[in-house]
Amino acid sequence: MKVEEKLSLLNYKTDPEYAHITIKPPICAVCPDHFCTFACPAKCYTLLNGKLNFKYEDCVECGTCFVACAHGSVTWTNPKGAHGVKYKFG
Amino acid sequence: MALELVVITKIVPDGSEVFIDPVNLTLNRSLATNVINPADENALELALQVKARYGGRITVLSMTPPFAIPYLEECVGRGADRAILLSDKAVAGSDTYPTSLAIAAAIKHIGKVDIVFAGEKTSDSSTGHVGPGVAEFLDAELASYVSSVEYDDGYVIATREFEEGTEVVRIPTPAVVTVLTNSNNPRKASLRRKIDAIRQGVIVWDLKEVGLPPDAVGLRNSPTIVKRMIPFPRRDRKGEKITTDNIAKLVDVFEQNKLIKGGE
Amino acid sequence: MSEFDVIVVGAGPAGSSAAIKLASEKMNVLLVDRADPPGSKNISGGVLWGNDLEKIVPNWNKMAPVERYITSKGVGFLTKDSSIDVNIKSRKFLQGVTGYSVLRVKFDQFLAKRAESAGAMLVSGVTVENLAFKDGKVIGVVQEGDTITADTVILAEGANPRVAIDSGARRPIADQDVAIGIKEVVKLPEATINERFGLTSKEGFAGEYALGFLEDGVEAGGFLYTNRESISLGVVINMGHLRADDKTYSFDIMDQFTDHPSIASLIENGKLSEYSAHLVVEGGYNSFPKQYGNGYMIVGDAAGLSFSNGLMIQGMNYAIASGILAAETAIEAKKSSDFSEKSLSRYKEKLMESFVAKDAYNFKGIEEVTWGKLAHKIMPSLMEDVLVNMFLTDGTPKKHLTELIRKAMKENNVKSSDLLMEGYKMIRRM
Repeated sequence: MKVEEKLSLLNYKTDPEYAHITIKPPICAVCPDHFCTFACPAKCYTLLNGKLNFKYEDCVECGTCFVACAHGSVTWTNPKGAHGVKYKFG
Repeated sequence: MALELVVITKIVPDGSEVFIDPVNLTLNRSLATNVINPADENALELALQVKARYGGRITVLSMTPPFAIPYLEECVGRGADRAILLSDKAVAGSDTYPTSLAIAAAIKHIGKVDIVFAGEKTSDSSTGHVGPGVAEFLDAELASYVSSVEYDDGYVIATREFEEGTEVVRIPTPAVVTVLTNSNNPRKASLRRKIDAIRQGVIVWDLKEVGLPPDAVGLRNSPTIVKRMIPFPRRDRKGEKITTDNIAKLVDVFEQNKLIKGGE
Repeated sequence: MSEFDVIVVGAGPAGSSAAIKLASEKMNVLLVDRADPPGSKNISGGVLWGNDLEKIVPNWNKMAPVERYITSKGVGFLTKDSSIDVNIKSRKFLQGVTGYSVLRVKFDQFLAKRAESAGAMLVSGVTVENLAFKDGKVIGVVQEGDTITADTVILAEGANPRVAIDSGARRPIADQDVAIGIKEVVKLPEATINERFGLTSKEGFAGEYALGFLEDGVEAGGFLYTNRESISLGVVINMGHLRADDKTYSFDIMDQFTDHPSIASLIENGKLSEYSAHLVVEGGYNSFPKQYGNGYMIVGDAAGLSFSNGLMIQGMNYAIASGILAAETAIEAKKSSDFSEKSLSRYKEKLMESFVAKDAYNFKGIEEVTWGKLAHKIMPSLMEDVLVNMFLTDGTPKKHLTELIRKAMKENNVKSSDLLMEGYKMIRRM
């Protein structure tokens, strides 16, 4: 099963007005490693024709990318109250 | 003159967490947490906007067992002035008819009310009965499927939305409006307001308080009879997720399914 | 005059335990969590060890939503083709106290509700944005421009503590502090689980695995626990190794673990019900961040209080214990009306006196072993060669065990001196 299918099992309260993670594209454009694409368990970071593509909607709020990015591109804040991932089991 | 606004709400299982038990084909709600009925959140948001524009007082009213109290506190945290819980053992088993009757009785007990806001329907039963039912028992005008509301000296100007277009109606108060799901983006309570809401507490009324005899409600006074439930046959969906990094494949799939015509 | 005696940020086991303790001592406490319901963003390896909770919620194991009592423990070394498992099922586990498997969404809600019924004000679904400071002291929290004041703030945000980091209360997380945790919950009928693991309905199994099959020097551990009607299993991946490798995807390691023959057979015909991820605090004693300051204390994962000795991963009981100790400190601080850094340093002293820090100290440097070559590569491949040769019947005469070991060491390019060195490290750390 692909990660995308696994994520489709989850319940999200997506906040259409607030992205809790933002990246700085100029930094990502010259990034030598794009380690975020390997580290993020929710595949929020992908390379599209060599360009970094990021989406916050699938984020499971683990915080991995904030530690993974050694170049200062990732700004990580908590989603606004009751938004984001909502687990059933944990 | 300040408007007297009432929002009626139901606490329902989170729809995205309810699933059909594959074995005995019943709805499994055991893992679902409760939420404010989604359309009611839109109703409250619309009421808050009306209050901000014309002034007034908002009372949130719910006929639910006491587990609803934290959700009513959330409503006050979002900006409602007070919350009333109509809770009485006698209402157990009530369908939409006695429910509308009891809620209308509670609204009458509040006194003179200008606008009642309700969600267009609940996500757990989807009848859409209670808003119109309350209007009937209050002998009030009704505007259903409403996305926005203006107030003009004793009249409500409501925009109703349909698949074919929109309709603007002007009806006298007291009026009941049922509000469309997703017609606005409901605000969340702030910590300050939520603390104040918890301290303020929720007013609890029983049937006696609103002057309704117990034998007017409950299962016996519910005309709905569920004859049988027919579950849809289970279909295994052969879904495949194609992401934007494979546009060519996406085009192929669309073509194969005749969703688009192939070009040169 | 502050509005609350204590504000606790985060209603996981650490925060709720602190709030339960505080409220039961008549402290005016606000417990706030960004999830609604509280607990619905929380995940864990899944086994709650120890009995600290008993101190604040007597008979919790009778009331709380627990899954199974762990009566069977396993350690496994997984190589590409084989698995070498050591399982112990002992009646002694029934006499002592081991642990319960729990599913955190239900369990954390239970604890938060306990705090509320003890008298704490519980606010869920609200995200605290920052700490409020005055004259260098934390005086409360900030949310949507409002400051809510408290004499003491306890930060119990978990492994990704935004408020603690962004306010400067603790240093940011570095590679060596954390591992990437990925977990799946797989639904299976209760009877199937009982059969596969040799359990009765209330008994549970907990296993830890060294993933020796991974190529390219990425080292990861696996875990698998039985719930009543599901299995929780996952991987814990060393952040530094994954970075150095820079070609392995974290989520692929999860698939490799669940696809491994010895794991796949345990979850066969199960239905994947949840996929989740979480940072796993790994740092240990050598990398504790600052855990208190002027007007605040940090507890649980947010304070780096988690522990793994290669045989068990522990976090929740440390979270609970540290929450209780921080609560005790806040109560003492109120008695002396002193909420300064010096006054709250009692928390650190209490931690150091407790098993929380003692475990961490005793196993100081264990990460060298648990993330070392010996556990992940050398031992598994050695054992595989030795055991497979011992049991394979190929018509040639059986060789003596020492001969098999020597041959396997040669084939795996292991020098006796390395083995001695690594073995010494392991014994010393454990």
